[in-house]
Amino acid sequence: MPYHQFKVSECIPERLHHAVDKGADEDLTDALPLGYLNTIPGTISERGCAYCGAKHVIGTPMKDVIHLSHGPVGCTYDTWQTKRYISDDGNFQLKYTFASDVKESNVVFGAEKMLKKNIIEAFKAFPQIHNMNIYSTCATALIGDDINAVAEDVMAEMPDKKIFVCNSPGFAGPSQSGGHHKINLQFLNQWVGTGEPEIYSKHVINYIGEYNIQGDQEIMRDYFLRMGIQILATFTGNGRFDDLRCIHKAQLNVLECARSAEYICDELRVRYGIPRMDIDGFGFEATADSLRKIGYFFGIEDKAEQIIAEEYARWKPELDWYAARLQGVKMCLWPGGSKLWHWSHMLKTEMGINVVSVYTKFGHQGDMEKGVSRCEPGTLAIDDPNELESVEAMYELKPDLIMTGKRPGEVAKKIRIPYLNVHGYHNGPYKGFEGWVRLARDIYNCVYSPAHSLVHLDISKDEIPTDKGFATRESLSDVNLSDEIKNSTELREYTGDYDPIPRLRKKMEENQYTFPDPVTGEWRQVPLDTILKGKIVDVE
Amino acid sequence: MENKIAQEKMAQLEWYISKHCLWQYNSRGWDRLIQNERILTKTKQLLRGENAKDDDTIADRYYWSEAMSLQGAFKRYFPWVAETSKEDIAQILDLLKERMDHTMVHASLNQELVKEKY
Repeated sequence: MPYHQFKVSECIPERLHHAVDKGADEDLTDALPLGYLNTIPGTISERGCAYCGAKHVIGTPMKDVIHLSHGPVGCTYDTWQTKRYISDDGNFQLKYTFASDVKESNVVFGAEKMLKKNIIEAFKAFPQIHNMNIYSTCATALIGDDINAVAEDVMAEMPDKKIFVCNSPGFAGPSQSGGHHKINLQFLNQWVGTGEPEIYSKHVINYIGEYNIQGDQEIMRDYFLRMGIQILATFTGNGRFDDLRCIHKAQLNVLECARSAEYICDELRVRYGIPRMDIDGFGFEATADSLRKIGYFFGIEDKAEQIIAEEYARWKPELDWYAARLQGVKMCLWPGGSKLWHWSHMLKTEMGINVVSVYTKFGHQGDMEKGVSRCEPGTLAIDDPNELESVEAMYELKPDLIMTGKRPGEVAKKIRIPYLNVHGYHNGPYKGFEGWVRLARDIYNCVYSPAHSLVHLDISKDEIPTDKGFATRESLSDVNLSDEIKNSTELREYTGDYDPIPRLRKKMEENQYTFPDPVTGEWRQVPLDTILKGKIVDVE
Repeated sequence: MENKIAQEKMAQLEWYISKHCLWQYNSRGWDRLIQNERILTKTKQLLRGENAKDDDTIADRYYWSEAMSLQGAFKRYFPWVAETSKEDIAQILDLLKERMDHTMVHASLNQELVKEKY
């Protein structure tokens, strides 16, 4: 696999080893992009910082927590609401963001007293919230504020409150990934093991590395609950602070995003002996395989097979409708970290999409191992690309769409390539069987948008066709389709809801799930309050 | 089985793992060696119709679950697996383990594999 030389980066020779062209008959021992290194001076990186990685990605999806940044107000504002990690109890974590609003005088004289005042003020303003995460920032780390001491002081004065201190200032690592690492281990060290949960099922998991983007967690939760599995806690999407204190009591850690959360799984394995099972919740086959092996672990593979059969029957004809129309579409799959490997093979096999490039902003070499393995020969794999490299790649590869985040997505639009937001999502959730159909639908709508096709015309020089009339997505996508597919009575477009989450929450409220008793194994219903807000007993 | 044929069949199984499995990517080299050893040994035992459970621990149950999933997939994807003798299965799976250790650990270019702490 030769390294890929970008013309725009010839003046930055260190960049050469950050990109490879995957060759046929070659393997990971031939070439692998470097990763998780400090951004090279002179290159304009699209990365976030370690504070952002800790707070924005992992901390903030916790739903019953006041998230307070100890620093200038911009740090908290710019990490607020840009990802739709919703919760099932009112979205407190999205509605509010808190900052201690550090100013010059605080940098000179210290900000600890002000921080304490702000913590108490925030707790009093929201008396129903009993937990707080405080995130250090560059400014307050550099002046040496002892946030832990302030937090201890407040907890002594307000014994019904719990405060987690996350020391991950922006400079504490090459990228947001440094923050993922820090918050994983700091939460484990500060709070895990301090609570005793109520166990109501024989089968107990933690769902780790899942952030409930537009309801991803709630789609997967439905499958787990249908299997009779108790989800002790989700780290961290739609997760309760108290539940997360009890994750040492699970029998299995089911790990989705290994990039952001393998650290806590690995440590739970070492300290508490809880196995780590990596899964893929994206794609039909991958989701089915994941449910199947969780089923094997608990001896409930029949339950898994039943769900797989039901979900395939409900959604596969809809996936296939889109797959028939997406064959050969060229895509640059440019997410942040884990989706390049979660998605690349499933996009190829289940939608017929050719992934011509994968990149990662903050991934490590391990992510590139997975990504390169799962994409096809000829794919360009890039670590931490700068904006000029991205533009050069788009001009060279001429993809039909880019799947990426907002910043590079806007760049793609400027050069007339449509993009889908795969960070905060366009019309997610994208997980599970229904979610994968929704992703296929969004890709289809993106590629065959009649409005987007107009951007390729330059009104300053192109002749504008006036003889072409109204176009629809289907009239564009079905040009070369066989009559057999066009007229199929089995295949159909997505027939789910505009937003599937209310349906899942209604199902939850109706409490249709049953669980095997931890002692007797007898399957029975469990009160909804126990499922959603099980009792936690504090332990030393 | 001739070594060349065994290598070809092993490459098919390796292809499946590279596209579908995540257990071989744990972030440290020593960890990957354990994963390869436990999961591929149990997969071999299951394909040979042998007992693949060592004890009642949840750790062992995890490796067994991955192996159950893998052997099922091997049979679905490659019909020749079900028709291969126990001896030949052992030969192919041993080659696979050797290959995985080589690619994912000993010859890996991933510089994080040798870091001491998680």
